[in-house]
Amino acid sequence: MNRRIALTVGAAVCSLLVIAACGVLLGVHPATMLASCAGAFGSYYAVGETLVKSCPLLLLALAVIIAFRAGAWNIGGEGQLIVGAVAALCVAQALPEGPLAAILGLMAGAAAGAIWAGIAAALRVTRNAPEVLTTILLNFVAEHFLGFLINGPLQEGSGKYPESEAVAPLSWLMTLSSTRLHVGVVLAVVLAGAMHYFLFYSAAGLRIRAVGLNPRAARYVGIPVDRSIFGAMLASGALAGLAGSVELLGVTHRLFERFGGGLGYSGIAVALLAFLQPLAAIPSAIFFAGLARAAGELQRTAGISSAVALLGQGVAVLVALTLSAPRFSSLRVAKAPASRPVPHLGESS
Amino acid sequence: MNPASILALTLMAGTPLLLAVTGELMVQKGGMINIALEAMMLMSAFTAALIATTSNSVTLGFVAGVAGGALIALAFGFMVITLGVDQIVSGTALNLLTLGITGVAYQQTRERFESGVPSVKPFAWASGIPIVERLDSTVLLAWVCVPCVAGFLLWRTRFGLRLRACGENSETIEHAGLPASNYRWSALAIEAFLAGIAGAYLSLSLSPGFAENMVAGRGFIALAIVIFGRWTLRGVLAGVLLFSLGSSIQFLLQANHHQISFHLFLVLPYLLTLAILVLSRAGTNAPAALGKRIA
Repeated sequence: MNRRIALTVGAAVCSLLVIAACGVLLGVHPATMLASCAGAFGSYYAVGETLVKSCPLLLLALAVIIAFRAGAWNIGGEGQLIVGAVAALCVAQALPEGPLAAILGLMAGAAAGAIWAGIAAALRVTRNAPEVLTTILLNFVAEHFLGFLINGPLQEGSGKYPESEAVAPLSWLMTLSSTRLHVGVVLAVVLAGAMHYFLFYSAAGLRIRAVGLNPRAARYVGIPVDRSIFGAMLASGALAGLAGSVELLGVTHRLFERFGGGLGYSGIAVALLAFLQPLAAIPSAIFFAGLARAAGELQRTAGISSAVALLGQGVAVLVALTLSAPRFSSLRVAKAPASRPVPHLGESS
Repeated sequence: MNPASILALTLMAGTPLLLAVTGELMVQKGGMINIALEAMMLMSAFTAALIATTSNSVTLGFVAGVAGGALIALAFGFMVITLGVDQIVSGTALNLLTLGITGVAYQQTRERFESGVPSVKPFAWASGIPIVERLDSTVLLAWVCVPCVAGFLLWRTRFGLRLRACGENSETIEHAGLPASNYRWSALAIEAFLAGIAGAYLSLSLSPGFAENMVAGRGFIALAIVIFGRWTLRGVLAGVLLFSLGSSIQFLLQANHHQISFHLFLVLPYLLTLAILVLSRAGTNAPAALGKRIA
């Protein structure tokens, strides 16, 4: 466990170093780069904003964790987030404004995300279509569908801007004190704890992990493999959909083009840096949220594209993977190749 | 909507796809799933456009495209073959990394692209001949040379036999005293070359210039077509033809029906790919060791 923490921190530091090297290469003054870090953690307000940004990341990482633990490659967080947000907006606008609309909006978002992931899960279980691909394809479908909605049926009243009407203020998620910190953050942390308990202290969690580690062995001991994968995918989609509805009802209050903005893919990076541990995903999400905030600050002050945050995510994950690689580490935990989740393209599981 | 322009569009839209699909077929026959195909194409589209505008030479652009693809292949091979890290996870991380690298680099070099990127010229000798006059040598390379060479290499040579053995059971190759990793590296090199040309074709011919995330899922669609084609050359050729025919009809419909939101048309290629996956009873005939590490 301690070794894992050292690996994670090492990988995070490496990604910061690479970004710093990029900055130096592009002629940014080191002081400007340090100042951009203050944009992420420098003040009460900045910390609040970073935590707000980490909330959907954490939920999306939890979505990735439960799916990957079951050996199901749900790369569709982005699409599930978008349909979750769309459902939350529709429900919140249809109901009289108030906390009830917010609660039902969150539930609708989770349900929509589960359905979106359920399509991929059903195709995997019935037609053996690899969910790696179907979830990615569904991301593109959701993105363009969102584009259609906000330029068509859900466009704001004047018809000028490609965005939806805002949700009525009384239906927004409650915010804590003077920042934009909303109750969704608390919800995400509670869910991380619940996920930890579920995966490591419940029978259903054990079944899911068993399926992910070795589906054939799991089938031999009588675990319903397909049903476990299906369930994990539904839970995963629900969490991603919840991330979308939390972001909509808590932060943006309306839909717009690029609502997802790559959050779904960042969620994968958060989960991988946390080595698929739900509790470790909390600091991991905060780290990447800070990175994204600092990158945004760097774009404003130094004109470097905020895509540098994606670069940081990629480096952090690759370094973490390299350091923990089977051929690299001296403490090889899993010796048998089959004991790691492998995609089931070839097997009719 | 005349048949000639549909055919020309089909051949052109299918060119990057066919190159990528053939490359991915090689790699998957060797037992690897390379999701970073998307990253390879994105990187090569960028390096090709950048070098082509800087040097004002299309040829150098293609060379740079191949180099860009090779860079990603090198990283993927290091993770997957040398270190034995999971293939899907490595590919996903590389896709993220490449989005970041190209995004930052494009922002820094944006003004170079403003004067326009030099693009591939269609055949000069064919002017006046319908369809052919709109094509260029990359199209010819993709639709004629690449399938023939790849088919011969995979199914008619000793190298191909051994590569396919790596994809079925890498232990047999190791037991025969041959290094399975070398065969996988070779397949990856071929894919890097083909994906590099595919990416360069995107940014130098199909839609000259660069835009963030301009590959728009073509790498993932290529993976789906390999599955649809059941890992056979004939199957993937049919898949590419079907897919690019569908997307060129979509393109022409879109141009003629302005009253319908273009967003709905944009969804069609992805829905078509999903339909292809559903219809293909995926997984039948897959290489047995696909996605597994070298034992």
